[in-house]
Amino acid sequence: MEHLGLSLALFGAALAAALAGIGSAIGIGVAGGAAAGVMTEDPNKFGSCLILQALPGTQGIYGLLIAFFVLNKLGLLGGAGAVALTWNQGLQILASCLPIAVVGWYSAIWQGKTSAASIQMIGKKPEAMGKAIILPAMVETYAVLALLTSILMLMGVQVG
Amino acid sequence: MSYVYTVARLRGMENHILDTAFFARLMDSSGIDDALKALGETSYSQWISGNENFDKAIDSEMLATCKELESFVPDKELIDIFRIPYDFHNVKVLLKGLFKVRGGEAEGRRYDLLSRLGTIDTEELKTAIETEEYGFLPYGLTDLIPQCWQLWDSSKNPQAVELLIDHAMFRAMLNVAEGLKMPAVIHWVKSRIDAENLRSAVRLARIKYDSAKALPFFHEGGTIRPDDMARLLNEPQETWSRLLSHTDIGAVLGALQDSGDIKASLSDVSKSLDDYLIRVLENAKYSMDAPENVLLYLLTKEAETRNMRVALVCISGGLDREFGRRLLSNGR
Repeated sequence: MEHLGLSLALFGAALAAALAGIGSAIGIGVAGGAAAGVMTEDPNKFGSCLILQALPGTQGIYGLLIAFFVLNKLGLLGGAGAVALTWNQGLQILASCLPIAVVGWYSAIWQGKTSAASIQMIGKKPEAMGKAIILPAMVETYAVLALLTSILMLMGVQVG
Repeated sequence: MSYVYTVARLRGMENHILDTAFFARLMDSSGIDDALKALGETSYSQWISGNENFDKAIDSEMLATCKELESFVPDKELIDIFRIPYDFHNVKVLLKGLFKVRGGEAEGRRYDLLSRLGTIDTEELKTAIETEEYGFLPYGLTDLIPQCWQLWDSSKNPQAVELLIDHAMFRAMLNVAEGLKMPAVIHWVKSRIDAENLRSAVRLARIKYDSAKALPFFHEGGTIRPDDMARLLNEPQETWSRLLSHTDIGAVLGALQDSGDIKASLSDVSKSLDDYLIRVLENAKYSMDAPENVLLYLLTKEAETRNMRVALVCISGGLDREFGRRLLSNGR
């Protein structure tokens, strides 16, 4: 039981990185399918398609950021050794990781779908690139809010 | 199976569909040379070498589209639904030819009327029907063709045979659509049956056909029952839109009535019904992965080829351009 707190905290870091990463991979895959379709007809649209395809990738980065934050808080980075955690503190860190893990996962998938729709839009109307970026960027708002929530919660957890 | 790639590629291909403005310019051409020059920048230029046999060139364009789609659409059956009517058209052409030959008309065969757009190779179909070896034929043709012969032998009525083939065609289309388990596609096939039934009803009403004998003219499988369609013939045509107001297709009649054109020519009614069949699928435009986009693209392309045929026949034959413009479908 003495390592339960640390295990819970690490589980939270793993969830943040894994779920948000899986969501990003799915989102980028969906947008990539649409980009390939549009570029088959017009390879000159590679630049526009790439930007839109990359948008759902940010959630994976946010998840990784939170995972680093947790590892740093636990003293696992830099070789100083892990700090002692109660199970209650471990649970608090796990809870702090959930906003970016869950919201990152879902929002990346939906952002990928919106990006795919936007890629199809520029396939037909290349002049609408500005509008095409804004639509998937709206989904990003909620991933950013979840990231902020996770950071603020982690900052509030007292360890050591 | 994901349709994201497919729909994205179709969006790109839609840019090459010729729009209404192009056909308006084409109809303004001073002559066929001028029209061919205008076609020089389109995908049709690869098929049209001179001012001979436009039909073949237009079919080649449509066939190339079907083949291209088959190379990347996950469910080939979606394209088959579009192509099945051409198979049944070919069966009609071949059987009618053989009926004439057996009736003593040695030159009865009309192979020139065969369409290459069917799913069955025309040569294979020709051989199968002429040698009476139907075993490999799909869509229930194995049983249908002997039935057609039986009906012909007993009635010598080509119209009855044609109706039997049409019934089987719609049954085959519905079977393929149901096999795909795509509700929007099934709905489209049912709408297509309704459209065909309504077209028949308008034709029969024009010749004041007895409604009691009209039932065989209507096909099963639509959203409106055949006997309800037959009953329409007892009512004045002006009331049809009200009687069918609970159905999607009632709006087509409503629009014709609003424009004071309820007694419009058959070609106008056909044009409205063709446009309606495209409209049925138009919601798919707003989806990034709806499979029915494939069907929508094929129908839009078919409308383009139909417009091309009207325009070229009109220009090369020196026909009234205003009449030709009226026949053009609403394109992209």
